[in-house]
Order: sequence, then structure tokens, then C-alpha cells
Amino acid sequence: MSVGFKAVQWNRDKIVYDVILVAGVALYIGVFAVIGWRWHPPKNLPDVIDIWIRAFGTAAFLMLTVILSIGPLARLDRRFLKLLYNRRHFGVLTFLVALTHVWLMLAWFDAQGLLHTLPADFTTWGDYGKFIGFPFKALGLAALLILFLMAATSHDFWLGFLKPPVWKALHMALYAAYALVVMHVALGIMQYERTPLIPLMLIGSFAAVSALHLIAAWRERARDQASTPISDGWLAVGPPDAIPDKGACIVTAPGGERIAVFRDGREIGALTNLCAHQNGPLGEGRIIDGCVTCPWHGYQYRLSDGCAPAPFTEKLATYRVRLNNGVVEIDPRPLPPGTPASITVAHVGA
Amino acid sequence: MTRKHRLVHRLAWPALALLIGLGITMALVLRPPPEPPKTAETHR
Ligand code: HEM
Ligand code: FES
Repeated sequence: MSVGFKAVQWNRDKIVYDVILVAGVALYIGVFAVIGWRWHPPKNLPDVIDIWIRAFGTAAFLMLTVILSIGPLARLDRRFLKLLYNRRHFGVLTFLVALTHVWLMLAWFDAQGLLHTLPADFTTWGDYGKFIGFPFKALGLAALLILFLMAATSHDFWLGFLKPPVWKALHMALYAAYALVVMHVALGIMQYERTPLIPLMLIGSFAAVSALHLIAAWRERARDQASTPISDGWLAVGPPDAIPDKGACIVTAPGGERIAVFRDGREIGALTNLCAHQNGPLGEGRIIDGCVTCPWHGYQYRLSDGCAPAPFTEKLATYRVRLNNGVVEIDPRPLPPGTPASITVAHVGA
Repeated sequence: MTRKHRLVHRLAWPALALLIGLGITMALVLRPPPEPPKTAETHR
């Protein structure tokens, strides 16, 4: 756990994040257009539109790659948490960029008076039986629908309505969207453009996303196997000073559920590792202003009973804690959310 | 992530990754050779 962890400051950081995000995307699209223009100077309006189609299409694809990389990156290095906490705006912007790509594609057909031929691209049913020659636009459309669904349900209203587990499961559809876009490009433009840049983009992006997920999964596995159950079912965490002050140790219960054991000076408490907001990894957070603070979006909970301070109403499951021969131990059976369970030890360290 | 969610994730993503890898590879391997003479407009 690094020093310098900072809670999410709601408004200013969010605006800064959005400004950097939009500026970065605009810069990418602008540079792409300039290079495209120099490389193949457009001869007519459709050529011009084509450059923009590609600029927006590749931008959306690369953004999707980044979104899928943020999760594992944040687990490997805490500096990436900054990206994570506002991933939602990233997602919505990706949808808007992809939508512009599609709108430009319509303009491309329209500029040549070919708009009426477009539906046939989707309804030539025989093509759906092919691999090469598969209606790649339909793959793009399916991906766009998923991105739309994600963007539309990204608001906290839906999170509250659907509950975090369902909402998270829904957001796993983003991986399906990624697969669809990869094939949209592989079976589309890659089939009739010979530039090695397209396979390079696809393979590079795919390799990066896979490698990051593999490394993160491997690290988690190592951590899950590390915990040691002991006498009468309680879990040993270690002496109080093994828990970083204002930080936590994460222990894994025999069933696989994770428990965050926090220490705030001489007070030690155990909470579920799952944040009530979006199931973020609470144990990777810190104690800020006397409250356990989630690293993802800054939701806060009291260490003593897992309740969010007023006016908030979230409650987390707590766990019983005891000191046994100088070793902190946790009862892995969860208490009802909001049950006071922390203990205060006489002293910490030698 | 909850435990169940993590389990599904752990099983699903290698399958999806394999599928995408296979998709890209096949699309590259089966791609028609470039037409030597420059002919009509690219089709889409
Ligand atoms: C209704 C949905 C969609 C349709 C009809 C569509 C259509 C097209 C077409 C016609 C092309 C070829 C462009 C050209 O020849 O220059 C293309 C390329 C591409 N599309 Fe889409 N698309 C859709 C959705 C998406 C989405 C959702 C994404 C990404 C999130 C995307 C990413 C791309 C990419 C990366 C390329 C390759 C650009 C290049 O390097 O040339 N598309 N799309
Ligand atoms: S998951 Fe959003 S604050 Fe914890």
C-alpha cells in the first residue's frame, strides 16, 4: 500500500478527469485525421468522411481497450485508481464516440446516394452462415447496443435499482462488446485493407487486455491461498502491528469470501471486503477522517460498526474480532450489517 | 467482487479470450490474398 492515498474529492477531480479525458480523445482523433489526410489525401467527400469514420472507430476501440484494462491495472498499481473512480464517464464517452462513428458511416453512404443499399447488408441472411464475408456491420451494431445499455444504466439510480451484483454482472457484457468489436474489425476492414496497422492494433490491444487480466488473476490467487484458518474456526491475522495503521489486511474465509481487517491506531475492526456501492475492494482503501474509505469512489464506513456516517445509510457486514495470545483473530461468520464489533487493544507493537 | 461473481468471471474470461484469439487468427489466415491489379472501388 503506497503513501499519498487520497480520497475521491467529488467535484473538482471529476471535472479535471473529464476535461483530460475529452481532450485526450479529441487529440487522438485530430492527430489521426491529420496523418490520414497526409497519407492518403482525400479525392472527394466520401474519402474525407472515411478518414473520420476510421478516426472515431479506432478511438472507440482503443477506449474500450483502456476501460477493460483499468480494473486489473488498479489492482497492480494504486496510481491507476484515479482512472477507475470515474470509469463511468469513460464508458459513456466511448458510447458517444462509437455513435459518431456510425453516424459518419451513414453520412458516407448518403454522400454517394447509397443509403438505400445499407439495410441489405444486414438482411442478406446467407452471409450470416459465412466466416469471411459475415455481416461485420451487424457485429458493430450489437456492440453499439451493449455500449448503449451500459451508458444508459450507468447512473447510480440504476445501481440502486438493480443492486450491485446484478449491475456488475450486466457490466460484464462489456467484454462481449469488446469481442464483437474485435470481430467487427477483423471480418470488416481487415479483409479489404492490407495495412499491417489493423492486425497490429487488434493483436496489441487483445494481448494487453489478456496479459493484464492474467497477471491480476495470478496475484489474487496467491493472496487467496495465503490465509490460514486456525483453532475453533477463527482466522489468524497476525499481531496488531502487522496490520498497517489506517490500512487493512485482507483475509480469505474458508468459503472464499474476503474480509478486510482494518486498524485505526489501537482500534481493530473487520468488515466485508465488498463495498456497498459497486462491490469495490474496501480492504485496499484507507482510513480517512476516521472512516474506512473505499478506494474506488470514496464511500465511507465507520470501523466500529460498518455503518456509513449520517446522512448516508449504507451498512456493511462486520465480523467478530479477538486478541488471542497477541494475535488478532477473526470469526469468519458475518454478523448482520451494522453490528458493532471492533475491539480496542491495549497497545500496538513492542 | 462477490465470490460467485468471481468464480463465473474466472471461468468465463479464459473462454472468451480463447474465442477472440481464435477469431483474429482465423480472420488473418483466411483473408483473401490482395488483388494484384488495382481494380474498382473497395467494397464494404
Ligand atoms: C451499427 C454499428 C456499426 C456499423 C454499421 C459500423 C460500420 C463500420 C464500417 C462500414 C467500417 C469500415 C470503415 C472504412 O471502410 O473505412 C467500420 C470500421 C471500424 N469500426 Fe465500425 N461500425 C459500427 C460500430 C462500431 C463500434 C461500436 C465500434 C467500436 C467500439 C467500431 C469500431 C470500428 C473500428 C475500430 C473500425 C476500423 C477503422 C479502421 O481502422 O479503418 N464500430 N465500421
Ligand atoms: S465501489 Fe464505489 S465507493 Fe466503493
